[in-house]
Amino acid sequence: MIPAVIMPVMIYAQKFANDRRERTLTATTYLYAVTGPLADRVRSLIENTRQAVAGNKDEEFDNLRQFKFDEIRVANPRESLDNNTIQFYVQAISGEEADKLPRTNDGSGPRPSKRLTGVPRVTVIYRADRDGSDNAHNRVMELLRLAREKDSQLLLVDRGFPGSPKGLFAVQDSNIATNGQVTGSLVGRFITLFLVMMMFTGGAVASMDIIAGEKERGTLETLLTTAVRRTEIVTAKLMAITCVALVITLIQGVNFFLYIRLKVIALPKDFDLQLPTGMALTLLALFIPLAATIAAVLLMLSAYAKSYKEAQMYFFPVYMVSMIPALASVMPGLSLRSAIALVPLANVSVASREILMGRPDTLMIIVTFLVMALTAVFLIRMSARMLAREDLVIPSHSEPAEFLGGPALFQKRVLRWFALMWAVTFAVAANVPQLATFQRQLVFNEVVIMIGATLLMLKFYNLDVTDALSLRRVKPVVWLAILFAIPSGYLTALAIFRIVNKVIPAPQQLLERFAEDFIPTGMPMWQLYLYIAVLPAICEEIAFRGMLLNGLRRRLRPAALMVSVGIIFGLFHMTLFRIAPTALLGMILTGIALMTGSIFPGMLMHAGNNAFGLWAGGGGLGLETLDWQYYAAAGSIFALALWIIYRNRTPLPTRSVYRGA
Amino acid sequence: MNAPVVVRNLSKTFYDEGRGEVRAVDSISFECREGEVFGLLGANGAGKTTTLRMLSTILAPSSGTANILGHDVVTDPQGVRKNLGFYSSTTALYPRLTARETIDFFARINQYPADRVKERVEYLIQRFGLTKYADARVEKLSSGMKQKVSIARTVAHDPLIVIFDEPTVGLDVLNALEVQESISELRSEGKTIIFSTHIMSEAERLCDRIAIIHGGRILASDTLAGLRESTGQHYLEDIFVLYVKAGQETV
Repeated sequence: MIPAVIMPVMIYAQKFANDRRERTLTATTYLYAVTGPLADRVRSLIENTRQAVAGNKDEEFDNLRQFKFDEIRVANPRESLDNNTIQFYVQAISGEEADKLPRTNDGSGPRPSKRLTGVPRVTVIYRADRDGSDNAHNRVMELLRLAREKDSQLLLVDRGFPGSPKGLFAVQDSNIATNGQVTGSLVGRFITLFLVMMMFTGGAVASMDIIAGEKERGTLETLLTTAVRRTEIVTAKLMAITCVALVITLIQGVNFFLYIRLKVIALPKDFDLQLPTGMALTLLALFIPLAATIAAVLLMLSAYAKSYKEAQMYFFPVYMVSMIPALASVMPGLSLRSAIALVPLANVSVASREILMGRPDTLMIIVTFLVMALTAVFLIRMSARMLAREDLVIPSHSEPAEFLGGPALFQKRVLRWFALMWAVTFAVAANVPQLATFQRQLVFNEVVIMIGATLLMLKFYNLDVTDALSLRRVKPVVWLAILFAIPSGYLTALAIFRIVNKVIPAPQQLLERFAEDFIPTGMPMWQLYLYIAVLPAICEEIAFRGMLLNGLRRRLRPAALMVSVGIIFGLFHMTLFRIAPTALLGMILTGIALMTGSIFPGMLMHAGNNAFGLWAGGGGLGLETLDWQYYAAAGSIFALALWIIYRNRTPLPTRSVYRGA
Repeated sequence: MNAPVVVRNLSKTFYDEGRGEVRAVDSISFECREGEVFGLLGANGAGKTTTLRMLSTILAPSSGTANILGHDVVTDPQGVRKNLGFYSSTTALYPRLTARETIDFFARINQYPADRVKERVEYLIQRFGLTKYADARVEKLSSGMKQKVSIARTVAHDPLIVIFDEPTVGLDVLNALEVQESISELRSEGKTIIFSTHIMSEAERLCDRIAIIHGGRILASDTLAGLRESTGQHYLEDIFVLYVKAGQETV
């Protein structure tokens, strides 16, 4: 079961990272400057070549066509490049001046090129330690080489005609980042991942047994009856894991160092890692809470598992998933001065890269340190709390649900079913080309996965259909409220996303491209409404607000149910930018199902919402740019509709009903 | 003087997804007097272990209070555990520690005065006849020896109150007798002992007072003589059956 889910999660994460990387690199508009006496000539060259490329539909030029760059005027290009105002600058000097420059250099200056005497020289100056600069440099070099090929003068000379050397130019690039900076950038990208891997595998040696093993041997109960506090127990155990993790990491590090010394592992050319004391200490200050957090994750895993074997089973997925945030440093343009500073592991990853590149952001490093320390403390407290959970502490010899089977077992298994459904949906979408079309994919997901799994679950656990799917009547006024809730809810959601967009902007292009990809052209309207509104509303409501909600509702309180069912619903809508909106819709629909005790109002709401979106989108009503008072009005109507539904509620019983408040 | 152990309306409700709400312990109250052996007599699943786990603060009560030497199990669990030794058939020993290390560890962890730990450890090794095996790993010891080490670690910090939760389960007759003897000795040292069992003869022999527990409730609580008098039966087994049947009728 876990292996079935873990691979899609990894592929998904990898795809997400790649997409984001690509997107950032192509979506960025790079700024540059042109200097030197022949600047105007270079400008016109670049302009001509750009136009030529734009007019050319060859796939070969796709990269260049997407490459957006604007020239800006700066007083000191070198300084602007260093502080990242521009990503590169082009220096064009005449042949005579170029001839005067020394041919050899110390490695930090421009590289000597094969340039004939008297030929003007165009140099692209960039910093190889920055993704943006490096990427822009590659593209502009490509462009300039193209320009050079297209240069008619060159053609003439090639064919043996006497050409004026002044009309030609030589292209070269020059990286002003030192080897130390480039190395720092390279090491910074992977050091956190390396450490996370080492600490996880090292810490696991101690952690697997440290609580889970005690449970198995019965010594945990002995320990819990002594005078020590739960937090003291977990803290002591955490320190033990941290020590083992650090020692093993150290041994691995020394190992690695020896391999390099013995030249078993070859280092890249120009590898030059500079680690001044201050930098090393700053890194250490981040790696210690990192180690503590990893130890805490391992400890929690051990506290949660009932046996050593169970702990081992959880280890691999937790390990794989923890590596994902550690890869944040690989993403270009991700600065620590952003929301990433609040994401544990990812913040250390980005921070260490910035530190190693010699651009430490003191304030954000402090934030990172605090976030990591708080995470570790939070996890320790969670572990301590697990020691107070009787179902985890006291070895139970039998789980009644296991032999009772039926609905009781269904509640324990429902999440596994949905994880499996998610994995299948994802694996099929990625691997079966026959299902790649819009209609087929929708029919497969909705009918085969949602309805198919529902039928299987109903049969497997011998569930009562009316109860498991909440097939109940509701008061007529609820239907009226739903009709009002559809357009007002849609507008309210739009308003929420406009506000969110102001804080965390989503790339506009991507949203547009998504709209194009998703809605096929040339399909009759009635079919579109069927596929986009009716089919998902029926099938998804049955699966999510029927099976999933009923499987979980005895275990969670209403708010937790709304959040969890909403997020799971969102996750089934693969495209990244659909997860948040669908999760929001899912939460609202879950709330409605909980209040009405039925899936039918939610079905109408869901169908209405999708249809309204399709109609509004197709009609170009410009609902995205309404004045705020309209949104406010819509919000009020929506709130009123929900209030009416609440007043006429016939709610589904949830955890609080089963276990008392 | 106040009773060292006071339990008032203590309840424990489990939620089980299959069976729904289960009242493992249903509003029980009792007191233990200083220096006595108080027995909880009940069949399997009667709620004995759950009650004793709440007293030792492993489980949190759903409602009601329990007070041990003035420390409340909910508000001051550390204070409770410091004054308590807890022994059950499921509390195991660390297999890779020696007998001496085990007693030493539990004395320290339970905050026995550091300067007297060594003395205490030697005393307990002597007292439980462990001298010969004191430096062997626990995993190498016979089950009878392990039993003794276990009791020694339970009283390592010289607690005033000792709980024995079905201590003789799974032991042969001779080992069970040894455990019973240890309990008697502890009583003669002045410790207050709470002892749970489903074996009538054990309860008859050891307990000063017996509480008959069934279905999570205490049906009767008195000295053996008192129970005999109020039921007119001589054997504890008959007394027990009588109460349980009467209890089922009222339920």
